[in-house]
Amino acid sequence: MTRGIGQETKGRRSLKRIGLSLGSVVVFYGAMYTLAPDTALTALKASAKISLALCLPLSLVFSVMFLLNLFVRPAQIAGVFSRNTGMKGMLLSAAAGIISMGPIFAWYPLMKKMREEGAGEGPIAVFLYNRAVKPFLLPVMIAYFGWTYVALVTILTILGSIVLGYSMNAVSGD
Amino acid sequence: MFTIRACYSFLNGFPFVQENYMKVAISAEDTTLGAPVSRRFGVSPYLIIVDLDTGEWEAVRNPGSSGKRGAGVEAIVLVISKGVNAVVTGYCSPPIRKHLESNGVDVFTGLSGTVEDAVGIYRKGEIQKKQEFESNALDRWSFLRAGTITNAFKSSGNQFATMLPILFSVVLLMGLVNALVPGELLASLFSGSALFDTLWGACLGSILAGNPVNSYVIGGELLKQGVSLFAVTALIITWVTVGLVQLPAEMAALGRRFALVRNAVCFILAVPIALMTVVILNVVTG
Repeated sequence: MTRGIGQETKGRRSLKRIGLSLGSVVVFYGAMYTLAPDTALTALKASAKISLALCLPLSLVFSVMFLLNLFVRPAQIAGVFSRNTGMKGMLLSAAAGIISMGPIFAWYPLMKKMREEGAGEGPIAVFLYNRAVKPFLLPVMIAYFGWTYVALVTILTILGSIVLGYSMNAVSGD
Repeated sequence: MFTIRACYSFLNGFPFVQENYMKVAISAEDTTLGAPVSRRFGVSPYLIIVDLDTGEWEAVRNPGSSGKRGAGVEAIVLVISKGVNAVVTGYCSPPIRKHLESNGVDVFTGLSGTVEDAVGIYRKGEIQKKQEFESNALDRWSFLRAGTITNAFKSSGNQFATMLPILFSVVLLMGLVNALVPGELLASLFSGSALFDTLWGACLGSILAGNPVNSYVIGGELLKQGVSLFAVTALIITWVTVGLVQLPAEMAALGRRFALVRNAVCFILAVPIALMTVVILNVVTG
């Protein structure tokens, strides 16, 4: 949602950092190839094998991302996010956290604003915790760990977030 | 159209119906109904939100008035969080208009005079008729429009393109780990004790950060190398929920106590969640 409004500079900086990360790995490979070509080739083959295994899950990731972008307007997450510190508020905040996209620090300003407007610490913590549940990344997770494991982790993570929410409420006295 | 607002209405026990502009936000120079309509929505000092049904109104400071980068976004978030259905102003920049309309908020521009006058004109439906052709954000099938599909495609492409280089770096690094580090060595870093492995994995996940997909690839590859599922699960959970790298930013935004307590509780919670996941998985799968 926030893309395209005053984010250009930050975006360019982020792209530069991403380019540097990938560049340094490629340079490392290049250096290794000159020193130990066999090991470099073995590493490259292993990487290719991992990449191949990721092809199908990643195409599914793109499809789910597209559907989420088509049907879900991230700015309206503000409407779902609840100031209510009860169970309903926790569940709504969990839903908002699950459908939210983008890096975590991009959400801090909104959370800060919600906090200033009286949102409890519990719902904010629940929102941040549920960012660990990413529906569009599930295909990759399932490819590595299987359906049963993913279902268990997802359910327990959501339940854990509710425990966290109540813990935060208890600490803050909300 | 399935929107979060529809979901919210449903969860609140109300069927989602197309609203008839109950709440209108007018950009204003001051906090009274007699204040002049501010020319620019994004940077107007105040927004006066009028409930057309009850006649109640409130003046709120426009977070966009600071003129800081991203302030316009805060104004959009404010309007949406207040449940506003239409914005009435002198001028609204195309990006802000686009974002408001895509979130179901209609935008009416070209207004001047006082806020009270603007409300009166709006009530009579004069601007509504004038700009009806532009205002189709509540169209049930708006997501099928070519522009919406193209935008969704572009957004997904951008998000995907941002994710891929780092993911590719992680894949290359995991290739190196596979080639250089024997599986036995990696496995030997973990004792085999469920609790110790979980704690060790949680520590790793708390230090590392980034897109969760990277933790799946790293975790999956470590698992193949013989690292226990307890450690991998704790790593995946803490990768997102505990953020030592982002801690300063979180403390600055949400307060020191909140950030420290939240991260500490998340770390502690990761241990039983990881243990329960693997134990239940073992029971289920035999």
